[in-house]
Amino acid sequence: MTDRRTLALLVTVCLGQVLLISAQVQSREGLPLIQVAAFDVFARVQRVTGGVTDGINSVWTQYFGLRGVARENAALRQQLLDLGAELQRQRAVAAQTRSLEDLLGLQPQIPDPTIAARVIAGNVSPGTLTVAIDRGAADGVTPDMAVLSGKGVVGRVIAPVSQHAAMVQLLIDRNAAAAVVFERSQSGGIVFGGESDGTLLAEFVPVLADVQPGEQVTTSGQDGIFPPGLTVGTVESVSGAGSPNRQIRVRPVSDFSHIDMVLVVLARPALPGDAGS
Amino acid sequence: MKFTSVLLTVIVAVTIQVTFARYTVGGSWVFDFVLVGIVFAGLQWGTTAGLIAGTMGGLLQDLLSGEIVGVSGLAKTIVGYGAGLIGTQFVLTRPHGRSIIVAGASIVHRLVMIGLLGLIEQDWPGVSWRAMLWETGLNTLAGFLLFQATSALPGAVARRRAGRRTSLSRRQW
Repeated sequence: MTDRRTLALLVTVCLGQVLLISAQVQSREGLPLIQVAAFDVFARVQRVTGGVTDGINSVWTQYFGLRGVARENAALRQQLLDLGAELQRQRAVAAQTRSLEDLLGLQPQIPDPTIAARVIAGNVSPGTLTVAIDRGAADGVTPDMAVLSGKGVVGRVIAPVSQHAAMVQLLIDRNAAAAVVFERSQSGGIVFGGESDGTLLAEFVPVLADVQPGEQVTTSGQDGIFPPGLTVGTVESVSGAGSPNRQIRVRPVSDFSHIDMVLVVLARPALPGDAGS
Repeated sequence: MKFTSVLLTVIVAVTIQVTFARYTVGGSWVFDFVLVGIVFAGLQWGTTAGLIAGTMGGLLQDLLSGEIVGVSGLAKTIVGYGAGLIGTQFVLTRPHGRSIIVAGASIVHRLVMIGLLGLIEQDWPGVSWRAMLWETGLNTLAGFLLFQATSALPGAVARRRAGRRTSLSRRQW
């Protein structure tokens, strides 16, 4: 009797979930209200667990990780010297660029406002590549805002966004994409995530575009999410060159295996069509 | 009482999942501690508990990951019920025997997920066998540790109580 009741419960629950999936697939929308509520409640738990693990990590690095400090100190001093020299070189290049901009009559680009956020939780479902950050609607974060690391593009903010937490879809997720431009060949394209080896697959690149491995890939700003000129990665391989089935793999510059702090760009780039409106 | 235990198991499993996943994002270390918790609930408390744990855990994962709600829920409901069914049909008391069920559940769950996503997106999402192997291995290890801990805990508590009682009687004597 109990087995029959359990079986009936199983069928009901499965059927209910199939209907739930069908409704969402048809409308192409999730369940925003329930998702935001669940995310908001769990974000508080994530904030606490994130704080506890950070505390443990901090104790570990500060007290137990002192063994290599002297060696690291010497290496950092050397690095500081090298960086000083590099800074001098960069200043010279910047001065040169400024004068060139003046000559061309270009306005220097105003950087968009950003806000720093701490990653408080990882992907709850192994199939999806998302992280939760401790900034939300109260800090001005809305879906489709670009998220960056010190090296380059990390991903974009997706729904649900609660008051003090938001979900970030990483660029390597199977549903993620970004409009890019190949620096050397100046040809455009779109990179997609979802590759098992952590690379991005570039599509919609003109067949005749001469894309070479090692080429820098930056955002073009055409997607209305990522501001132009941000580093995405470098071309790792180009197979089947010259054919329509050419495969361009891009290795992302951001280290997705260790994301601690990120920057959320609080403004979205204006699309060419927006200028008149 | 049983429902509270199942609910607690799911919440603890989801919390552990998000806490550990933070350090392995995008890496090859793929694991699903929620699934381990569901199999644990199924083997420990039977089919209904496994079914409820699977539904709750899966739906919670869907809601928190921003994906289509119900995909993980459906996959985990089936796995939770299956684990409960195996738990009632076979006598599985040893931790290694139970962790084999976790391994099987991990593979079945991943295949069901791939199938469901393929049906929804009308496109075969592709199988990363390496990731599946990692997930199965890590889930099995986590399951083994969990079952080892739960089977050793009552004995350790009893030994401690007995030790305390002995020392007390010695003092009285």
